[in-house]
Amino acid sequence: MKTLPTVLQTHQAKDYKSDLKPIWCPGCGDFGVLQAIYRSLAAINRPPHEIAFVSGIGCSSRIPGYTTTYGFNSVHGRALPIAQGIKLANPDLLVLVAGGDGDGFSIGGGHVPHAIRRNTDLTYIVMDNQIYGLTKGQLSPTSPRGLITCTSEYGSLEEPVNPLLYVLAYGCGFVAQATPADMPGMTEVIEAAIRYPGFSFVNVQSPCVTFGREEVQVKAHRAQMKSLKSLNHDPTNRLAAMDLAQHYGHELHTGIFYQNPTPPPTLDALVSERKAALNGKGLPRQKIFDLLLQKQ
Amino acid sequence: MNNTRAIDESTSHGAGVLAACRPIDFEKITLMDALDLATLVEQEAKDRYNEFAHQMTTHHNPDAAGFFLRMIQIESTHELRLTERRRKLFGGTPPNVRREMIFDIEAPEYDEARSNMTVRRALEAALTSEKKAFDFFDAAVQRVKDPGVRELFTELRSEEEEHQGYVVAELAKLPPDPANDGSAYEDEPVAID
Repeated sequence: MKTLPTVLQTHQAKDYKSDLKPIWCPGCGDFGVLQAIYRSLAAINRPPHEIAFVSGIGCSSRIPGYTTTYGFNSVHGRALPIAQGIKLANPDLLVLVAGGDGDGFSIGGGHVPHAIRRNTDLTYIVMDNQIYGLTKGQLSPTSPRGLITCTSEYGSLEEPVNPLLYVLAYGCGFVAQATPADMPGMTEVIEAAIRYPGFSFVNVQSPCVTFGREEVQVKAHRAQMKSLKSLNHDPTNRLAAMDLAQHYGHELHTGIFYQNPTPPPTLDALVSERKAALNGKGLPRQKIFDLLLQKQ
Repeated sequence: MNNTRAIDESTSHGAGVLAACRPIDFEKITLMDALDLATLVEQEAKDRYNEFAHQMTTHHNPDAAGFFLRMIQIESTHELRLTERRRKLFGGTPPNVRREMIFDIEAPEYDEARSNMTVRRALEAALTSEKKAFDFFDAAVQRVKDPGVRELFTELRSEEEEHQGYVVAELAKLPPDPANDGSAYEDEPVAID
């Protein structure tokens, strides 16, 4: 016996789809990610005008334009600082951030730890294709060692960044991985990430069909992927999550690696609390600027 | 209030290919829900072919785009027929099944498209999708209990088989693809000595 859902489902995936048609290469993994985002947003059931979508630069960073939410296709690697500012200025907005592995872990790599330690309530979706696709196939921070590209003719000599281990090490409260080879699974983790109260991170292994290797395309993912649920992984166990995350680049684990069972307060909540405690007695913004100028 | 619905918002009843529409319990599905599901399956396929046609047009591949446009017409006809049948039987009763509940049942997967795909490859993608839809309805037929739903799904399964026949016949009319592994379209790394 099942009861009817208590919340009326008023939004459908198509409500989040803009009139702009994606210009990604046919076969790109990002098409699937976009569909999963539409569906997750429909499940969350927030109207588009209550959502802000921020991105950096790159193929995947075009995503905000393909949605009906507020969107900001910002500068390379700077999506996270902008998203944090938006969330602090208007904590009622649901803020999503998207970008690629280069945008997030190379050019914007320095922003990731700070976004995590501040724990602003954002969902960061990285479309990790292990290459710079938009600029025609250069090495990216997650490219595997030995990869031959136009900037590594004799094979890359560098070890890749491990995005999962990186964010777990900095204390991220929600860490998941997905692939377009499992659309229901990807939709599920993106929805769970959005629902998590705090900074959440989803690494989507989103194949580059033009510059990516055959062994990282969707068909290969389908053969390789192992769901963490099927491994009986306990997502509240951070050390077990770190242990599994070490296999990044060798095995394709999908699902939730870690979800903090007792999420700490978010920065936006703390800021609101501080404002309430000051009860309007805080320095006015103009005064702060004046004091700053006087000190210089 | 009907509290024995076949649409369970909280758990997955799917198994194998039926997992492509996760919250639907095929043992309890009603004829109205089944008709709505079948309509959405056609709608999803039509929308995907529409996206593919747009992608091919953008990438200056009018032959593949033309084939996908034909597929849009075929899927639209099926969708309209099912919509009409549903309207006659159940009028404007609000649906329980939503588009968000299904995942690529008959729609070709995004990964099937390539900017330089030939008409043959486009037909092969469509054939894979028709086979996928056949497997879906075949699995559903084994699971459903309602005789009316079983009849509907059996009919749809046969239609998917007919569509496969159509695509196979179209494939037979085509000359073989030229020997080309697509590498001519790739930007190879260039070392400067």
